[in-house]
Amino acid sequence: MSGQDFQSEVALKVVGPPRWTPEPDPRVPPGDPATLLTINGDGAVSAFSGKVEYGQGIRNGFAMEIADELDIAVDSVRVVLGDTALVPQDRGTTGSASTRTVGIQLRRAAATARQTIIDLAATRLEVDSGALSTREGSVVFGGGSKSVRYADLLSGHTLTVAVPDEVTLKNVGDFRVMGKPSSRIDAVSRVTGSAKYAQDVVIPGMLYGKILRPPSYGATLRQIDTARAERIGGVVSIVQDGDFVGVVAEREDVAEYAIEAIRARWEESRDTASDWNLPALLKERAGESVALREEGSLQSGFASADRVLESTYYVPYISNAQMEPSASVARWDGDDLTVWCANRGPFAERDSLAEMFGIDPKRVRVIAAEIGGSFGTKSPSVSHEAARLAKAVDAPVRVSYDRAEEFGWSTVRPAATFEIKSGVDVDGKIVSWDYAAFHAGENAFRGQRGADTPYDVDNVRISVAASESPLQAGSYRSLGGATNHFARELHMDEIAISMGIDPLEFRLRNLSHERLRGCLTAAAEAFGWESREKRPGVGYGMAIGYDAGSFTAQIVEVAVENQEARVTRVTVGFDCGLVVNPDGARNQIEGSIVMGMGTALWEAVEFDGGRILNDGFARYRVPRITDTPEIEVVFTGGDDVPSSGAGEPGIVPIAAAIANAVRDATGTAIEELPIVPRL
Amino acid sequence: MHLKVNDESHEVHVDAERTLLSVLRHELELTGTKYGCGEGNCGACTVLIDGEATRSCITPVTSASGRDITTIEGLADGDKLHPVQEAFVEHTAFQCAYCTSGFIMSSAALLDRNPKPDEEQIKSALSGHICRCGAYVRILKAVKSAAGEGDAG
Repeated sequence: MSGQDFQSEVALKVVGPPRWTPEPDPRVPPGDPATLLTINGDGAVSAFSGKVEYGQGIRNGFAMEIADELDIAVDSVRVVLGDTALVPQDRGTTGSASTRTVGIQLRRAAATARQTIIDLAATRLEVDSGALSTREGSVVFGGGSKSVRYADLLSGHTLTVAVPDEVTLKNVGDFRVMGKPSSRIDAVSRVTGSAKYAQDVVIPGMLYGKILRPPSYGATLRQIDTARAERIGGVVSIVQDGDFVGVVAEREDVAEYAIEAIRARWEESRDTASDWNLPALLKERAGESVALREEGSLQSGFASADRVLESTYYVPYISNAQMEPSASVARWDGDDLTVWCANRGPFAERDSLAEMFGIDPKRVRVIAAEIGGSFGTKSPSVSHEAARLAKAVDAPVRVSYDRAEEFGWSTVRPAATFEIKSGVDVDGKIVSWDYAAFHAGENAFRGQRGADTPYDVDNVRISVAASESPLQAGSYRSLGGATNHFARELHMDEIAISMGIDPLEFRLRNLSHERLRGCLTAAAEAFGWESREKRPGVGYGMAIGYDAGSFTAQIVEVAVENQEARVTRVTVGFDCGLVVNPDGARNQIEGSIVMGMGTALWEAVEFDGGRILNDGFARYRVPRITDTPEIEVVFTGGDDVPSSGAGEPGIVPIAAAIANAVRDATGTAIEELPIVPRL
Repeated sequence: MHLKVNDESHEVHVDAERTLLSVLRHELELTGTKYGCGEGNCGACTVLIDGEATRSCITPVTSASGRDITTIEGLADGDKLHPVQEAFVEHTAFQCAYCTSGFIMSSAALLDRNPKPDEEQIKSALSGHICRCGAYVRILKAVKSAAGEGDAG
């Protein structure tokens, strides 16, 4: 169905900026007014968002919010996501911001629609609108005995209403849908194989493209012989434009075969960076440090300290390794380009394609397919590659990465080195905190996310620098947040142990942040921290964290034996304010913990001079079902506190909590990830 | 070559060295079976061949010829979902769900041969699968519940 088809039947259109925050946030422009919600003459409700679904369940979360405010069934809401021709422009799906800013605006749009419908009913029934209520898609009157359907009220109208500044939303106590566990509205398509991911998109006349990959980053093409590849039956074209070489064929297996048949000679870069020397290189090659916070006097703080500790920590590059390798389909109709892809930022993708081909962004339509995992990456270049090949052969082309390409040519989580110097007084209070981080690569957050300390300290300096990245650094779950937390929370245990203070007691002594205290004490109680049993080979550790407006604390039990570490139990205190979908939030937190467990125990991208050495799951260990711990989540947020992110905060403390637990079990401090190869 | 997939017979004319996964996805347009790694390490491509959970990405299409192949599209009985599918919906045992077909096929094969598996047997049967979203807690619950253990554990 095209945009025009359903717009033509629209009886009520609610427009407004796509995002809303209680206090205007100057860093987040609200966006131009756009269509947020429509109700057709037959009562069909559609909602529009530039966000995309990659497993976090936002389609369902949005549908729940709208259904509740409009008093309709969840499965009657059609949520249109990530099609640049249909949805409001958005910056992308990042920072666990969907429920916080877009979800609330859709709720406001739904409440606006409901009020408009009630006003229509009041006029028609010649009663005061205050005497009317709504239930299951109808306006109810006459003391609840009579009702009229929304569709009957809207039929024949073509109204456009803007979301006003002040909108009355439902009270928590009146929620029928929000806050209650629910199955996802897209569940059946996902268990029957009918959901179409970017890898599954097939359009008429589509051909298959494959790109010739250099042996390493920074390599330059010196010589090429494509004669053998050209003779293979089913090869449509070999496209060459400088170092960009691709094959287009009638079938994917033919394209793969033809790429193998190309002979190429590359000159590789002479960079000596590798996973061996990177910890030191990150500091050596760092740009200027940015001071995020500088208060008091470090010098006088250290002078007054009973003891001063200094540590250096390191986290390696991590592969996102989402299950669906990147894929994209591109089709040109004259100068108009349509791309089906699995990118988190369809509008950014549209603009970058427009720039690449020197055309107006309005001539580019990007449609987000279902996304088989992202965690921040999908190759930024796969759509460019598909569009270049499609233009060259004048036919639609799909480019699908294989697993080795995904490991080698998609993006990785930036490696980082940290230096922390702390001073602590005789009472176990932190009096001085000097934090310096060196994150590989430039990114939107510049490694600043989560760098500041939530603990009380008067003399403090937090500085962050971006360092030259030998690999293509990209986004990841809580980019910067997860790694900054690792360093800080490890150092908190370092101090506690050196002072002989229990890690829980030490944290509470230095933490006046109420929501974090709430998470930590709830987790400690649920875990049974005070009554934990010290046994050989078993360790306990904790860490706290903040991210995307939410707060969390995690306590972990590990078993260490024969150079292996197993996480056996994780207890989570989690405060994301009002929980829209408890089951969805829990699912995200569990996922964050399992994913973070991989970063703590096993994962690291091994590379040497631009060559990725472990580009398959046989050589890159990720968590499996046999590794899964028992996970308990306690929500500690207030229902009257606006919802904040749930997709990422769960990952920020887990690696430190595990490392602290392993240290508790073995007595040896951990300063680098991953843990298991160092046991 | 003759392929019997989801109780339907197909004559396909394909190179013998192609994988079953490639033929299912490209020739028969059964895209519910996913490509994840091409090396048999992640389980996303799992189908049933004569009831056995099999990695279709490393199975030559010739070796599947003449045998009973079931893909995720053929697991439900018309509109009635297979008990494992039902349980995955009920427990939201997925996030992005790209790996889900594979997990469901292996779980169905397990319950077929062992209707009352214990937790270790379930984990062992699914240890060759990767869910990068980390929905393992849910997957375990779903398979237990499909095995008639309710929400036990």
